[in-house]
Amino acid sequence: MVYLWLKALHVAAVLIWTGGLLVAALATTRASKLGADASLIETIQRFDARVTSPAMFVVWGAGLALAMLGQWFPSPWLIVKLAIVVLLSALHGVLAATLRRRSLRDPSPPPGWLRHAPVAIMASLSAIAVLVVVKPF
Amino acid sequence: MTAQQRAEALSQLRWIRAVSLIEGSTLLLLVLVAVPLKHVAGLPVATRIMGPVHGLAFLTYGWMLIRTIAGGGWSRADIMRLTIAALIPFGAFVNERALARRQAMLAASWSISG
Repeated sequence: MVYLWLKALHVAAVLIWTGGLLVAALATTRASKLGADASLIETIQRFDARVTSPAMFVVWGAGLALAMLGQWFPSPWLIVKLAIVVLLSALHGVLAATLRRRSLRDPSPPPGWLRHAPVAIMASLSAIAVLVVVKPF
Repeated sequence: MTAQQRAEALSQLRWIRAVSLIEGSTLLLLVLVAVPLKHVAGLPVATRIMGPVHGLAFLTYGWMLIRTIAGGGWSRADIMRLTIAALIPFGAFVNERALARRQAMLAASWSISG
Protein backbone atom coordinates (compact mmCIF):
# COMPACT_ATOMS: atom_id res chain seq x y z
CA MET A 1 0.00 0.00 0.00
CA VAL A 2 2.83 2.41 0.90
CA TYR A 3 4.45 1.51 -2.41
CA LEU A 4 1.35 2.54 -4.38
CA TRP A 5 1.02 5.84 -2.52
CA LEU A 6 4.70 6.57 -3.11
CA LYS A 7 4.25 5.69 -6.78
CA ALA A 8 1.30 8.09 -7.05
CA LEU A 9 3.34 10.83 -5.34
CA HIS A 10 6.28 10.15 -7.68
CA VAL A 11 4.12 10.28 -10.83
CA ALA A 12 2.34 13.47 -9.69
CA ALA A 13 5.69 15.14 -8.95
CA VAL A 14 7.08 13.99 -12.32
CA LEU A 15 4.12 15.57 -14.13
CA ILE A 16 4.54 18.87 -12.27
CA TRP A 17 8.34 18.90 -12.67
CA THR A 18 8.42 18.06 -16.36
CA GLY A 19 5.57 20.47 -17.16
CA GLY A 20 7.46 23.26 -15.40
CA LEU A 21 10.69 22.20 -17.08
CA LEU A 22 9.15 22.48 -20.56
CA VAL A 23 7.69 25.90 -19.73
CA ALA A 24 11.10 27.05 -18.43
CA ALA A 25 12.82 25.73 -21.56
CA LEU A 26 10.36 27.48 -23.87
CA ALA A 27 10.52 30.72 -21.88
CA THR A 28 14.32 30.66 -21.92
CA THR A 29 14.85 29.80 -25.56
CA ARG A 30 11.79 31.18 -27.34
CA ALA A 31 10.95 34.18 -25.15
CA SER A 32 11.45 36.79 -27.86
CA LYS A 33 9.63 34.73 -30.51
CA LEU A 34 6.75 34.14 -28.11
CA GLY A 35 6.61 37.85 -27.33
CA ALA A 36 7.12 37.17 -23.60
CA ASP A 37 7.61 40.35 -21.59
CA ALA A 38 9.71 40.76 -18.45
CA SER A 39 6.79 40.22 -16.06
CA LEU A 40 5.96 36.86 -17.69
CA ILE A 41 9.59 35.75 -17.37
CA GLU A 42 9.53 36.81 -13.69
CA THR A 43 6.32 34.82 -13.12
CA ILE A 44 7.82 31.72 -14.73
CA GLN A 45 11.03 32.17 -12.71
CA ARG A 46 9.03 32.38 -9.46
CA PHE A 47 6.99 29.32 -10.47
CA ASP A 48 10.25 27.49 -11.13
CA ALA A 49 11.65 28.40 -7.69
CA ARG A 50 8.46 27.64 -5.75
CA VAL A 51 6.91 24.73 -7.66
CA THR A 52 9.10 23.14 -10.35
CA SER A 53 12.31 22.85 -8.30
CA PRO A 54 10.60 21.44 -5.16
CA ALA A 55 8.75 18.98 -7.43
CA MET A 56 12.14 17.78 -8.72
CA PHE A 57 13.29 17.05 -5.16
CA VAL A 58 10.07 15.09 -4.52
CA VAL A 59 10.72 13.13 -7.74
CA TRP A 60 14.20 12.18 -6.51
CA GLY A 61 13.10 11.31 -2.97
CA ALA A 62 10.02 9.30 -3.90
CA GLY A 63 11.84 7.66 -6.82
CA LEU A 64 14.72 6.54 -4.63
CA ALA A 65 12.29 5.19 -2.01
CA LEU A 66 10.35 3.29 -4.72
CA ALA A 67 13.53 1.77 -6.14
CA MET A 68 14.54 0.57 -2.67
CA LEU A 69 11.09 -0.69 -1.61
CA GLY A 70 10.55 -2.43 -4.95
CA GLN A 71 14.13 -3.78 -4.92
CA TRP A 72 14.63 -2.49 -8.45
CA PHE A 73 18.39 -1.89 -8.03
CA PRO A 74 20.44 -2.71 -10.08
CA SER A 75 18.07 -3.34 -13.03
CA PRO A 76 19.71 -1.99 -16.23
CA TRP A 77 16.55 -0.11 -17.30
CA LEU A 78 16.58 1.76 -13.97
CA ILE A 79 20.27 2.69 -14.27
CA VAL A 80 19.65 4.12 -17.77
CA LYS A 81 16.55 5.94 -16.49
CA LEU A 82 18.54 7.40 -13.57
CA ALA A 83 21.22 8.65 -15.98
CA ILE A 84 18.54 10.42 -18.05
CA VAL A 85 16.97 11.92 -14.88
CA VAL A 86 20.37 13.22 -13.74
CA LEU A 87 20.91 14.85 -17.16
CA LEU A 88 17.40 16.37 -17.05
CA SER A 89 18.12 17.69 -13.54
CA ALA A 90 21.37 19.26 -14.75
CA LEU A 91 19.50 20.86 -17.65
CA HIS A 92 16.95 22.16 -15.15
CA GLY A 93 19.77 23.74 -13.13
CA VAL A 94 21.05 25.62 -16.19
CA LEU A 95 17.52 26.66 -17.18
CA ALA A 96 16.77 27.90 -13.63
CA ALA A 97 19.96 30.00 -13.63
CA THR A 98 19.20 31.41 -17.10
CA LEU A 99 15.63 32.26 -16.10
CA ARG A 100 16.88 34.03 -12.98
CA ARG A 101 19.39 36.06 -15.02
CA ARG A 102 16.63 37.05 -17.46
CA SER A 103 14.26 38.01 -14.65
CA LEU A 104 17.03 40.26 -13.28
CA ARG A 105 17.33 41.96 -16.70
CA ASP A 106 20.80 40.48 -17.31
CA PRO A 107 21.45 41.20 -21.00
CA SER A 108 23.90 38.31 -21.58
CA PRO A 109 22.42 35.78 -24.03
CA PRO A 110 21.66 32.19 -22.92
CA PRO A 111 24.06 29.42 -24.08
CA GLY A 112 23.38 28.55 -27.73
CA TRP A 113 22.92 24.83 -27.07
CA LEU A 114 19.91 25.62 -24.86
CA ARG A 115 17.78 26.11 -27.98
CA HIS A 116 17.65 22.31 -28.23
CA ALA A 117 16.36 22.01 -24.64
CA PRO A 118 12.61 21.59 -25.43
CA VAL A 119 13.28 18.77 -27.92
CA ALA A 120 15.82 17.14 -25.58
CA ILE A 121 13.28 17.20 -22.73
CA MET A 122 10.53 15.63 -24.85
CA ALA A 123 12.91 12.95 -26.21
CA SER A 124 14.12 12.17 -22.67
CA LEU A 125 10.57 11.85 -21.33
CA SER A 126 9.63 9.52 -24.19
CA ALA A 127 12.69 7.36 -23.48
CA ILE A 128 11.82 7.25 -19.77
CA ALA A 129 8.22 6.21 -20.57
CA VAL A 130 9.51 3.28 -22.68
CA LEU A 131 12.08 2.26 -20.05
CA VAL A 132 9.57 2.30 -17.18
CA VAL A 133 6.62 0.68 -18.97
CA VAL A 134 8.33 -1.84 -21.30
CA LYS A 135 11.45 -2.46 -19.16
CA PRO A 136 13.29 -3.67 -22.28
CA PHE A 137 16.42 -4.84 -20.40
CA MET B 1 25.55 44.44 -10.51
CA THR B 2 22.20 45.83 -9.36
CA ALA B 3 20.98 45.60 -5.76
CA GLN B 4 18.49 42.91 -6.75
CA GLN B 5 21.15 40.85 -8.52
CA ARG B 6 23.43 41.13 -5.49
CA ALA B 7 20.65 40.08 -3.12
CA GLU B 8 19.97 37.06 -5.35
CA ALA B 9 23.67 36.16 -5.44
CA LEU B 10 23.92 36.42 -1.64
CA SER B 11 20.82 34.28 -1.17
CA GLN B 12 22.23 31.67 -3.54
CA LEU B 13 25.57 31.62 -1.69
CA ARG B 14 23.75 31.11 1.62
CA TRP B 15 21.84 28.16 0.16
CA ILE B 16 24.85 26.44 -1.40
CA ARG B 17 26.83 26.89 1.84
CA ALA B 18 24.06 25.19 3.81
CA VAL B 19 23.68 22.35 1.31
CA SER B 20 27.47 21.91 1.14
CA LEU B 21 27.57 21.45 4.93
CA ILE B 22 24.68 18.95 4.83
CA GLU B 23 26.34 17.02 2.00
CA GLY B 24 29.68 16.95 3.83
CA SER B 25 28.08 15.89 7.12
CA THR B 26 26.12 13.04 5.55
CA LEU B 27 29.30 11.84 3.76
CA LEU B 28 31.15 11.76 7.11
CA LEU B 29 28.24 9.95 8.79
CA LEU B 30 28.23 7.41 5.98
CA VAL B 31 32.00 6.81 5.91
CA LEU B 32 32.82 7.15 9.60
CA VAL B 33 29.68 5.77 11.26
CA ALA B 34 27.47 3.74 8.92
CA VAL B 35 30.21 1.79 7.11
CA PRO B 36 32.01 0.73 10.36
CA LEU B 37 28.63 -0.19 11.88
CA LYS B 38 27.97 -2.43 8.88
CA HIS B 39 31.35 -4.14 8.78
CA VAL B 40 32.34 -4.18 12.46
CA ALA B 41 29.02 -4.36 14.29
CA GLY B 42 27.15 -6.31 11.60
CA LEU B 43 24.46 -3.66 11.18
CA PRO B 44 23.87 -3.29 7.42
CA VAL B 45 20.77 -1.21 8.16
CA ALA B 46 23.12 1.73 8.92
CA THR B 47 24.34 1.96 5.32
CA ARG B 48 20.86 1.16 3.97
CA ILE B 49 19.65 4.35 5.69
CA MET B 50 22.68 6.61 5.31
CA GLY B 51 23.42 5.60 1.71
CA PRO B 52 20.21 7.05 0.21
CA VAL B 53 20.29 10.05 2.61
CA HIS B 54 23.79 10.96 1.41
CA GLY B 55 22.77 10.19 -2.18
CA LEU B 56 19.96 12.73 -1.98
CA ALA B 57 22.22 15.32 -0.30
CA PHE B 58 24.86 14.76 -3.01
CA LEU B 59 22.30 15.15 -5.81
CA THR B 60 20.94 18.33 -4.20
CA TYR B 61 24.44 19.80 -3.90
CA GLY B 62 25.23 18.82 -7.51
CA TRP B 63 22.05 20.47 -8.74
CA MET B 64 22.67 23.66 -6.74
CA LEU B 65 26.27 23.70 -7.98
CA ILE B 66 25.14 23.56 -11.63
CA ARG B 67 22.55 26.30 -11.02
CA THR B 68 25.12 28.49 -9.25
CA ILE B 69 27.85 28.04 -11.86
CA ALA B 70 25.39 28.58 -14.74
CA GLY B 71 24.57 31.93 -13.10
CA GLY B 72 28.09 33.07 -14.05
CA GLY B 73 30.94 34.84 -12.23
CA TRP B 74 32.92 31.74 -11.18
CA SER B 75 36.51 31.00 -12.22
CA ARG B 76 37.60 27.57 -13.42
CA ALA B 77 39.54 27.08 -10.15
CA ASP B 78 36.39 27.90 -8.12
CA ILE B 79 34.37 25.38 -10.13
CA MET B 80 37.04 22.68 -9.63
CA ARG B 81 37.14 23.35 -5.88
CA LEU B 82 33.34 23.31 -5.54
CA THR B 83 33.18 20.01 -7.45
CA ILE B 84 36.06 18.20 -5.74
CA ALA B 85 34.84 19.29 -2.29
CA ALA B 86 31.74 17.12 -2.70
CA LEU B 87 33.78 14.01 -3.42
CA ILE B 88 36.21 13.91 -0.48
CA PRO B 89 35.49 13.70 3.27
CA PHE B 90 35.97 17.07 5.02
CA GLY B 91 36.20 18.79 1.60
CA ALA B 92 32.78 20.36 2.14
CA PHE B 93 33.98 22.12 5.30
CA VAL B 94 36.97 23.72 3.53
CA ASN B 95 34.60 24.65 0.72
CA GLU B 96 32.11 26.19 3.15
CA ARG B 97 34.79 28.57 4.49
CA ALA B 98 35.67 29.66 0.93
CA LEU B 99 31.99 30.24 0.17
CA ALA B 100 31.63 32.22 3.42
CA ARG B 101 34.56 34.46 2.38
CA ARG B 102 32.97 35.06 -1.02
CA GLN B 103 29.66 35.87 0.67
CA ALA B 104 31.39 38.32 3.06
CA MET B 105 33.22 40.01 0.15
CA LEU B 106 29.99 40.38 -1.79
CA ALA B 107 28.15 41.77 1.25
CA ALA B 108 31.05 44.18 1.96
CA SER B 109 31.16 45.46 -1.64
CA TRP B 110 27.39 45.98 -1.36
CA SER B 111 27.67 48.06 1.82
CA ILE B 112 30.53 50.12 0.32
CA SER B 113 28.69 50.84 -2.94
CA GLY B 114 25.38 51.27 -1.12
